[in-house]
Amino acid sequence: MALPLSYSWRSLLARGSRTAFTVAVIALVVIATTLFWSLIGSLKRTLVSSGSPHNLIVMRKGATNDGSSQLSLDAYQTIRFFEGIAKDPAGNPLVSPEIVVQPFFHTTGGTRENVLVRGIEAPALLVHDEVTIGEGRMIHPSSGEAVVGRIVAKRYKGAALGSDLRFGNANWKVVGILDANGSSFESEVWVDARELANNAKRPFPYSGFRVRVADGADMDALARRIGDDPRWALEATREIDYYKQLSSTANTLYIIVAGLAVLAGIGAMFGATNNMYAAVQARTSEIGTLRALGFSRGAILGAFLAESVMTAAFAFVIGAAISWLLAIAISAAMGGIGFASQTFTTNVVVLRVAPQDLLMPLGLAILIGVFGGLAPAAAAARLRPVEALRKA
Amino acid sequence: MKYLPLVWRNLGRNPLRSVLTAAAIALAIALVCILRTMPAGLDAILASAAANTRISTHNEAGIVYSMPYSYLAKVRAVPGVVAAISWNWFGGALDLTKGVEFPNFAVDPDGFAEVYADWGLEPKVLEDFRKYRDAALVARQTLEKHRWKVGDVITLQSTVFPVTLSFRIVGANPNQGGALYFQREYLEQALAGAGVQFDTTGMIWSRVDDPERVAPVMRQIDEMFRNSEAITSTETEKSFIGNFFGGLKQLVMIIQIVAALVTLCIVFIAANTASMSIRERVGEIAILKAIGFRKQTIFSTLLAEAGLLALVAGIFGAVAAFGMLKALQLYATGAGPQLGPLTAFAVSNAILVQAIFIAFFIGILSGWVPALGASRRSVAQTLREVF
Repeated sequence: MALPLSYSWRSLLARGSRTAFTVAVIALVVIATTLFWSLIGSLKRTLVSSGSPHNLIVMRKGATNDGSSQLSLDAYQTIRFFEGIAKDPAGNPLVSPEIVVQPFFHTTGGTRENVLVRGIEAPALLVHDEVTIGEGRMIHPSSGEAVVGRIVAKRYKGAALGSDLRFGNANWKVVGILDANGSSFESEVWVDARELANNAKRPFPYSGFRVRVADGADMDALARRIGDDPRWALEATREIDYYKQLSSTANTLYIIVAGLAVLAGIGAMFGATNNMYAAVQARTSEIGTLRALGFSRGAILGAFLAESVMTAAFAFVIGAAISWLLAIAISAAMGGIGFASQTFTTNVVVLRVAPQDLLMPLGLAILIGVFGGLAPAAAAARLRPVEALRKA
Repeated sequence: MKYLPLVWRNLGRNPLRSVLTAAAIALAIALVCILRTMPAGLDAILASAAANTRISTHNEAGIVYSMPYSYLAKVRAVPGVVAAISWNWFGGALDLTKGVEFPNFAVDPDGFAEVYADWGLEPKVLEDFRKYRDAALVARQTLEKHRWKVGDVITLQSTVFPVTLSFRIVGANPNQGGALYFQREYLEQALAGAGVQFDTTGMIWSRVDDPERVAPVMRQIDEMFRNSEAITSTETEKSFIGNFFGGLKQLVMIIQIVAALVTLCIVFIAANTASMSIRERVGEIAILKAIGFRKQTIFSTLLAEAGLLALVAGIFGAVAAFGMLKALQLYATGAGPQLGPLTAFAVSNAILVQAIFIAFFIGILSGWVPALGASRRSVAQTLREVF
């Protein structure tokens, strides 16, 4: 017969202060792990959520990002009439030629950062269908106007709607705010492509094109046709693959953080083991009594293991709740967290603890509970009833 | 001091508990060391920029906004400028699928020795760097990471220019960012072959003769280009690097928050053990007092017990951190461009020593309350309770 769970639960409460210490240790490990894990998760979500599954990105062969690519005007003029490209109601191909420049911006906090400024033409919003104008309006061509990502508007001096934003030795009027479901487009500034090329004195008009593929058209065939065209050394990639590739470096970070979390977890496990040994020691006579009453070794083992796992589970709940609040507090206090990106621009990530970010810390906490309780619980189960009672 | 054997014996009374506690603290200390090393990578880069007479000139609008190459000659002519070189980002990758793994720049070999006089490069290395068109000076950490040695030939495909160049490694440089430098002329010729005109530069780095003169020289350079096609902004190396990594500020703050949480964790682990072992000994402590041991003596032996355990754990933790950081360096240097120098994981003795002190201090601190309570307890009452 197994001991009721309430036995384990009440035992925990009986030595409240010591349980509290263990809970605190495990909860702190959970908080530390959750903060890092969700930070990388947030970074990854920001990057992966950028890009549309219907789009191709066309860059010069060898360019790893659109900040380091250059393309010619005739490549654009030819490719936009390739078959399989979606068209707007007026019959114009949905190809967005873009130029990327990374000028200095000044944060409201006084630091200097490179921001991704994308020079665009009329089809931009139609091709990037995940980007919308949240406030204000879209820019007019050649008017010195800019639309800025929601994060940009808050982070940099002069970037609020209606203000004069200074970058690239020129002033730009902010006429709209871009919303993009928290993706990296919200860390960008969009202006007229020609104006930006002039401003940055770029010899080539464009960095790359984004191509919206027509419904039902073969995306890979179109990509191959662009890539195989001997006139230009171009490469077409699915836009989501491009952003996935940009986010792949985050995988190494996951491994580093997982390693650190396991270290912290083992430390917390030792603390939990200590605590459970003390509990077994303090209750030697009680265990003897239980055994004398007829509870099996298995029942004792189960009860002590349950006690340890309960402690860890409770600590996880507290730790997860605190991390969630802490993430909100951090986001409120700092705005976003800047990461350097491959385009040398600042990619701002808003820290958020998503449910899936809690899975790893939960697993860690359960393992701490199980492995921290295993040895002491086995020691309790091994106690011989007569000796245990005599010792008391 | 004469009570040290007693303290040691007390720690050995419950060896399992002492070992588990020490291991837990050691792991946490190792973690604190690793976490604190991450922002320290940034500090190390800033500290290595201590040469306060080296200044950077770039387009006011940003580093990607270029300047005419002719600016270099004009900067060199400014009184007070000892030497100046141009820098162009080559963005070379060993393997395009991995992206740019370390920074690489085309520079002018003339003046390189003077601008980087503080690097202490050997004359032979500098001579080779000028002599061979395809010569490359590679940062020590990059050489180690890729197991390259002087004389090796490596090939980088540019992500910026339509060229792929092979380089002969002629020497190492102490750059903390892992950079590779090669001759601008090599790139110029390759680009000429590809039909690309190359007459701009991204940055100009100069050495000023006198620290006192740095500010006026910087002003003079910017003044000179005020009304030209590319307005410049000149700053000291330290300010430039600080600005370059300014965006990582919030990330550093989060790492510091987590390091603080782990430190707090140590407090709880140590305090739990101290309170457990002291509580078990109340009867014994009462007897010690009854036979004439003074309150202060008991208090300090208990405190010493907690401190000693944490100190030993701290030392183990620091040693473990040293090993782990070495392993991380090999695995994770330049892990992702997102973290920049935060994943350099350069071991710093200061951090390891500080960690040992932190462990000791926390040990003492966490033993304080239970030790004070035990030493203050009334003897008569305790004995009555226990026996």
